[in-house]
Order: sequence, then structure tokens, then C-alpha cells
Amino acid sequence: MSDAGRTGDEAPEDPGAYVQQVMAEIAEEVRLRRASGDLPPRLERELDELFLAHSPIGVRGGDLSEAIRLVDAATFIDPVVPVESERAAGAVVKKGMRTMMLWYVGWVTHQMSQSASAVSRALHIVDDHLKELERRIEAQRVPDANVVEFPTSVAPGAWWVEPALAALAKAPGRVLHAACGDGWLVRRIAESGLDAYGIDPRAPVVDAAELGALDLRDEHIAEHLRAVAAAGLGGIVLSGTVEGMAGGERTQLLAAIGTRLAPGGTLVIHSVGRGAWEAPDAPYGADLASGRPLRPDTWRGLLEESGYTAAAQQGPDGSDYLITAVRSGLTPYEQHEPGTR
Amino acid sequence: MITAAGRPVAVHQFLPALNPHDATGTHTLKLRDVLRQAGWRSEIFAEAVHDDLAAEAYKHWMYPEHAADSDVAVYQFTTSSAVAPYLAQQGLPLILDFHNFTSPELFAGWEPGNVMRAAQAADDLALLAPEAMLGLARSAYSERTLRHAGCRRTTVTPALADYARVTAKPDPRVAAELQARRAADGGADILFVGRVVASKAQHELVKALWTYRRLYDPAARLHLVGGTSSYAYSKALFDFVEDLGLANAVRIAGEVSDSALAAYFEQCDLFLSLSVHEGFGVPLVEAMTAGLPIVARGAGAGAVTQTVGNAALTLESGDPAYVAAALHRVCTDHTLRRTLADNGRRRAAELQGDRVGQQFVEAIAGVVGRP
Repeated sequence: MSDAGRTGDEAPEDPGAYVQQVMAEIAEEVRLRRASGDLPPRLERELDELFLAHSPIGVRGGDLSEAIRLVDAATFIDPVVPVESERAAGAVVKKGMRTMMLWYVGWVTHQMSQSASAVSRALHIVDDHLKELERRIEAQRVPDANVVEFPTSVAPGAWWVEPALAALAKAPGRVLHAACGDGWLVRRIAESGLDAYGIDPRAPVVDAAELGALDLRDEHIAEHLRAVAAAGLGGIVLSGTVEGMAGGERTQLLAAIGTRLAPGGTLVIHSVGRGAWEAPDAPYGADLASGRPLRPDTWRGLLEESGYTAAAQQGPDGSDYLITAVRSGLTPYEQHEPGTR
Repeated sequence: MITAAGRPVAVHQFLPALNPHDATGTHTLKLRDVLRQAGWRSEIFAEAVHDDLAAEAYKHWMYPEHAADSDVAVYQFTTSSAVAPYLAQQGLPLILDFHNFTSPELFAGWEPGNVMRAAQAADDLALLAPEAMLGLARSAYSERTLRHAGCRRTTVTPALADYARVTAKPDPRVAAELQARRAADGGADILFVGRVVASKAQHELVKALWTYRRLYDPAARLHLVGGTSSYAYSKALFDFVEDLGLANAVRIAGEVSDSALAAYFEQCDLFLSLSVHEGFGVPLVEAMTAGLPIVARGAGAGAVTQTVGNAALTLESGDPAYVAAALHRVCTDHTLRRTLADNGRRRAAELQGDRVGQQFVEAIAGVVGRP
């Protein structure tokens, strides 16, 4: 933050421009603070978690079993009311009233407790059935795609980094990189003057990298996008993320991106091609994935159908490619998802 | 009762509850005076009337005793109420004076009863909006809600409020207490005025204070003024403050008198709002009137940016790091403070005074004719 105008009392010539300048300086101040390690991202998350710990279960999003435990705890209704009083003889009066009314109140509360017990029992049965269903579905589940990185193509010197940075240059807001690994690309994006952060589902990688004062979070892309506000991102970079996705998961991801990316925002996708994916020296994660990489033209067509202006660029050895897409107007996903505008 | 020209002589107001020290209550009472001064007969009918205002209004079911053929109804729409279906049954020419209502999602998990009431409010709006001959909205944000609900003719009119209360006669006891604390400990005093409910996001203010104290001003304090209608949220907020070790730095003042409120506006350094829903934001205008610089969440906060115009530092999110940096800048940059205060006073002047009452008269006369 500059010191210009901090202590002077002179009115700025153009108050609007002055306030805009201040906002930019505040953003820079935040970036520097984060970079200095004064405010690690983990601390901000811990604040959120601390407040949630005091919140009702409905806010915390606790599971059914936890909710049923609360029901169990509230099932018994005690008819024996406390009789302490701050007033002289108050306790005696209350105790007398309790004795007189206990036969009546007790009869009512007994029935209420029985009713609540029956509801609780029914909930336990539903919970048991659901758990059994979940167990069976789990056995047939298509797993979420893991990050599959090809070390030679996901590295600071990779050919696609400069074109990606050029595509992001006019991003109208924060830039997200998934999967960010140790934050090497987040650092490059930040150095280019943009506000960037990263997510990666591989917690140990992120935990180690946070010591470098970058804003990195151990989250899965789908889970993270659900928490981002509509049009809250100016750019999204996906690397090592989309190759192994099953069709349904890819469609959901595009839908989420379609609502979270601001108009004019840039989507950058780096993907290996099918040859590299099926090569004998490919990472073993490629074998375990449910899906396989799309061809560059398929991505381009898919994105243009979704309201982007997209371009594809093949890598020098043909083993990987880069897709850059700018969100134009409303995407079909946004047109159909209520409450996102 | 009609005039010789066949025009209405009575424009009555209906509302869910008439309460003192309440934005809707004040607005309703002031609008009644404006309507009467314009020449209309005007009474207030409410589902619930606070004892202190018993002489000012009738219960809504008493309306037939006052009814005339040419009556026009203005419904102060704030929440769900038995008054909405009652008005639909009456079939009176209807004007919706829309203050907006908190959407059900913002109560979810906190207050099941309020979730139901908010959902019912949406139903009430869907019932009345298509029938209304005019919708008066506090902001362009609320105007969009009215139009989506089916209101065909709408206009934006600010709230009628008693903004002078924030500058007149500050309570000397409260002012002295705030001054003494600052003299002893130093540090900035940050103010927020609004009900303690999840949609006002007081917990985000606490997070911002914690961050601000950690990074910039270890002695800073936060003053939360306003009653609560959510026990669950209030308790969570109290416990959160305790856990963060901020019990001495966060004052949850509750509802206060006008003079005490004036003392807070006089003594505090800035007004901070991270609310995620404002249909208009009377306290924002009060802060501008008092010359207090405002830092506010703009994006996703309803009408905040429309109400404050360029008179606040409006942030894209409630991210504590950004909020803390903005607080620091406002507290240390005299030029910025003066710019925000000057812009605020100008903006506040646009939102109050006789011309606002006249806007209501013109809008209503535009659809029902002059008295």
C-alpha cells in the first residue's frame, strides 16, 4: 500500500478514481500480507470451522446419524421441573405446584416421550436402510477422477505455460488453478499481476506448499466450486484434472464452471492426449481412471456449445494440448440453473 | 366515500406488525403523515400492533368498520402475514410497498420457523404482486424481485426514516463510556447496526475484527447494535466471540435507545457491514447521515451498493483479510475518511427529506389520481 494521500487532508480531484485506486492498493496489501505469511490461509479456514462448531447441525451439514443422536437426546421429556427460586418461599411454592400437577404433566409428558421414541426408532430404521443402500451403491460407484500428472508436461518449463498466462492476462477477477500441486503455476500467475490461488485434493502436497505463503487449499475441484459465489472467478486453469473424468463428472464440472466463471472470464484446460495416456510409461493413475482424455476438437466443440469462444493448441511433440476459452454470454448451464444470477 | 370527480379520498396502509424503533414501523407512520398532508384520508391496519403505538393503528380485521367504496390499500410487505390473504379477499385496489424479505435459504439450519415464514412470504408475494396496480420498491434490487413476482408497474422510492435521530442528542453516558475505553486502551471502534440474525452475518464481522486485531490494531473493538430474532444464531455468535478471546473487544449491545444509537454513531470510527441481504439498509443511510465512513460487502448483499452509491468502500466478499486491510486503510487514511464521509452525506441527502415523501405522493397519484 502506498503512502500517497494517507495523512493529507486535501480532497482528491476525482473521488471515484481515488476510491478505485484505494481498492487496488488494498488488494495489493492483502497479496503482500498473504505472501509474507502473516495470515496463512489455514488460519482463515480455522475461523470458519470454529464458528461452524457452534452452529446448529443444519448449518454444519452433519450426517443423518448425528441428527438422530440429537433426536435421541431430546426424546425424554422430563416432567419434574426445577424448583429453585431467588425469592423467599418461592422454592416451596414451586415444589407444591409441581407436586399437585405432576400426575397431570407426567401423564402428558409420558405420552410425548413415547411418541418421540417411536419417531426416533423409525429414524434409526431409515438410517440402517440408507447405510445398507450406500454400502451396495459404493460397491458399484464410479470413482471421482484423481489428479493424474505427467511430470514432463506439468512443470514450470512446460510449453503451454506462457500461452496460458497470455490467455489469462485479462481475467476479470481471481484466478483458480486446479490441481495446483505445490503452487508453481499459482506463483507464476501471481507474478504476472493477477490475484491467484490454487486447490488440490492431495493434502500432503498442499500442506507442504502452504509454508511458501501461497493461497493453496486441499480441496477437490467439484467441492470447491460449489462453495464459490456465482460469477466469482475471473479465470480457471485445469491441469491434470479432466483427463480421467467419467462423462457425468465432466458434465457436472462444466456446469459448475459455467456458473462460477464471470462473463468474460477465461477457462484454460491442459490435457495430455490419448497416446500419452495409454503409453507404457504413463502414470498408473491413468489405468485406474474411469474416463480417458478427449480429443482437442471435442473440447473445443463442447465449450463452444456451452457459450465459450474456444481455441485449441497442440503441444510440440503431439503428446498434450491446451484449450483456452473465454466465457461470452450466459452458458446453457447458467440459463438452466435457478438462482445463480 | 369518493370525491365529485370519482377519485379516492382514502389510501389506507396495511402491514404485518407496527413496531416502534423499527424501519418498517417508522416508514409506515411517516407515509401516513405524507398521505394525509397530500389530502388523502389514511389509517393504518396491522395484524399486530405494539402497545406503545396502540393509538396509531387498528387491527387489520377492523378495516370493514372504516371501509368506503373508493378505498385504496397500500400493503407494507416485509414478511408473511395473515394480512396478505386478507387483502386478497378484500379485492381493494392494491399498491405494494415492498421492503423485501430474507430468503428462506438464509435461515436454513438456524431457525426452522423462519424458513417456513420466509417461504410463506414468497407465496404471499406471488399472490399479491400480479394483482397490484403499482409496486413501490426500496431499491432496484427489490424492484427486480417485485417484477419477477408478476408486478407489472413498479418504481423505486427510498424508505421514509427518521435519520435525524442519529445526530440529535447523543446519550452522554454511552458517549463517555466509549470515550473512556478508547482513552484507556486506544484502538478503533467499529460499528454495525442491524438485527442479530444469520443474514446480517455478524459472525463475519467478528472474523474480520479478529483478523484486523491480529494484523493491524490489537486494541480494536466491535460494537453490534440491534435486537435479535434468532436465539440459535445469537448463542453461536456469543460462543464464537468467547472462543476467539474477544469477549472484551466485542460489545453486543442489543436494542438501544435513539440517543444511545446517536452516541455510537458519534463515537465510532467507521461502520462495517458484511450483511448478505439488504433490501435497502436504513442503518447504512444513518451512517452516511452521521458522516461515518462505511466499509461494506457489496457483491451478493442485495441492495447495499445501490443504497451507498460511491459513498463506501464496497468489497467483493467478506474475506477477513480484505476486510481487515480495508478497515486499516479507512482508519489511517484521512483523505479517504473525508472523501467517504463527504460522499456519504451527499448520498444520504438524496435519500431523505421532503422530496422522498413527494415521490410517494406522485407515484400513488399516478395510479389512483390526486385527492
